[in-house]
Amino acid sequence: MNGRLVPRLLYGIGGAAVFLVLSSVFLLAIGRPPLATLATMAVYAFGDGYSTSESLVKATPILLCALAVILPAHLGLITVGGEGQLYFGALLGTSVVVNFPGGPMVALLPAMLLLGALGGAVWSGIAAVLRTRCNVNETISTLLLNYIAVLLVDYAVYGGWKDAASLGWPATIQFPPAATVPSLFGTRVHLGLIVAVVAAVVLHVAVNFTRWGLGLKVLAGNRKVGAMVGLSFASNTLIVMALGGALAGFAGISETSAIQGRLQSGLSVGYGLTGFLVAWLSGQHFLRAVPIAIMIGGLIAAGDALQLYSKIPSASATILQGLLFAAALGSSGLLGRREERHG
Amino acid sequence: MDDLVVVGHWTAAMLRSSTPLLMVTLGETLTQRVGIINLGVEGQMLGGACTGFAIAAVTGDPLMGFAAGAAAGALLSSLHAFLCLVCGANQIGSGIAVWTLGLGLTSYFGRPFVGDKVRGLAPMGGPDLANVPLLGPILTQLTPTAPAALLLVVLVGVWLYRTSTGLNWRIVGESFEAARAIGLAPRMVQLSGIVAGGLFSGFAGAILSVDYTQTWANDMTKGRGFVAVGLVIVARWNPFFVLPVALIFGLSEAATLRLQAGGVSLSPYLIGCLPYAVCLACVIFASMRESRYGGMPAELASVFGRRSG
Repeated sequence: MNGRLVPRLLYGIGGAAVFLVLSSVFLLAIGRPPLATLATMAVYAFGDGYSTSESLVKATPILLCALAVILPAHLGLITVGGEGQLYFGALLGTSVVVNFPGGPMVALLPAMLLLGALGGAVWSGIAAVLRTRCNVNETISTLLLNYIAVLLVDYAVYGGWKDAASLGWPATIQFPPAATVPSLFGTRVHLGLIVAVVAAVVLHVAVNFTRWGLGLKVLAGNRKVGAMVGLSFASNTLIVMALGGALAGFAGISETSAIQGRLQSGLSVGYGLTGFLVAWLSGQHFLRAVPIAIMIGGLIAAGDALQLYSKIPSASATILQGLLFAAALGSSGLLGRREERHG
Repeated sequence: MDDLVVVGHWTAAMLRSSTPLLMVTLGETLTQRVGIINLGVEGQMLGGACTGFAIAAVTGDPLMGFAAGAAAGALLSSLHAFLCLVCGANQIGSGIAVWTLGLGLTSYFGRPFVGDKVRGLAPMGGPDLANVPLLGPILTQLTPTAPAALLLVVLVGVWLYRTSTGLNWRIVGESFEAARAIGLAPRMVQLSGIVAGGLFSGFAGAILSVDYTQTWANDMTKGRGFVAVGLVIVARWNPFFVLPVALIFGLSEAATLRLQAGGVSLSPYLIGCLPYAVCLACVIFASMRESRYGGMPAELASVFGRRSG
């Protein structure tokens, strides 16, 4: 085990170095001093209490969407459906608020959150059923379902749910306080973050230290052996996909309620895709995903701040994410080859 | 007579919508034929659309735009090739990385071109032909990219099934071992397959922005690259089958546009789901039949295939 630690560290550092070089090249290409800009970004991300809290706000849906990728990955499934599950969860959760805006908090808030999670679970469950019943590759189905979910939210907010008072802006009514996810420490950080971290820990324990988790490992390795000892790939696929989808759906409804205060078009800025990136950077590891999601949340928050203060378009954060992903995939791929050679 | 005019209009709209998709699906078919799945086609298409539009806007020559778009697609696809072939990275992950980069780079560098218009290719027939039944709408509404795409289907199909390089590619997709045994270098063939897919997807993107919409907008491909990856399965990895499959999708997209323009009371956002739903339905149908008919290259199956059993 220890013999593997040094090369793993070296490849990790190598990947980080490649990312630094690539991002410097990009920043030079757009005429910005690379090191100074990266340092500014670090300050914008975690420089003080306020920027740290904004980074945590971004990290919340990202972490939830990452968990929605990691759990199915433990069964060998590759889903890219976080974005669609997030949107459909937000849609279903919002339906409660739109229909009972005057409900009491004890009923409205839990019902909204539960329906949000259910929406994500259903959207992900569709892909799971297609996978087990019709043999449809889950990567393809989740990617296509993403676009449909985004359009369904547009259908709602441009159509029947549009608030007449919003002057044509495609959005629902403002969520009443009884349907607002509580925030923490007087910042915009909300309960969703705690749910996400607790979910990461619980899933880590469940997958690594329970009989169910062992079953997933067996099924992921060899489905025939799994079937022989009485494990069902179909029902486990449905369970991991629905649970993951529920987390992404919860991300959608909590972001809608706590941060945006109403359901609107363009509710997510690629949180689902970023969650996929975080899942892979973590090596499909629930606990490692937590700090990585916070780091990437910082990158996105810094991108927003750069747009505001330095007039660098926030698409630069997407480019940096792509470069980071490429560098990480390259180095982990090379590491995998090395470990194959050396056993 | 009136019926023929309607049929002509629908055929023209269908071919117009199908052309970019036909191109990108052909390219992805070639890539998957050598045992590689590339989800990065979505990003490559965006790269081709943005670069192609920029070059066509600057030079005023749509053909230059097509060439630049194809080159941009090939460039982005070579990142996929590097990550998969040199580093041994996971193909799905690498494709998503290419998509992310394509999305970020085009929305960053494409900003100055949002809202611009370019002049695409001229239609094949002049306005005096408009009243010819059936062919009139097709000739006056379509540019030469549509027949070029149809021609490419035949060329790629014949090349893949009737030439020795085509045979070599198919052997690599089925078995590295067999390929090495007859002296091929599988990695080099895979590199060619990925870059060929990149050229096609970039060209497809450029057709979309320069010739079809004649504008550039962020994320304008709207999942057409992913649709293409799905349609390759539906077409059973056969370039000839790509044509009917892409036409079905083109028809659903043409129907979407016509319904929206026709003042149907249904929400445009709801109608907009149609092409994705049609694609998903086709993939479901094809996947259910796959166990009976097969057709997936064996080396591809090891990374992307049916893991049921």
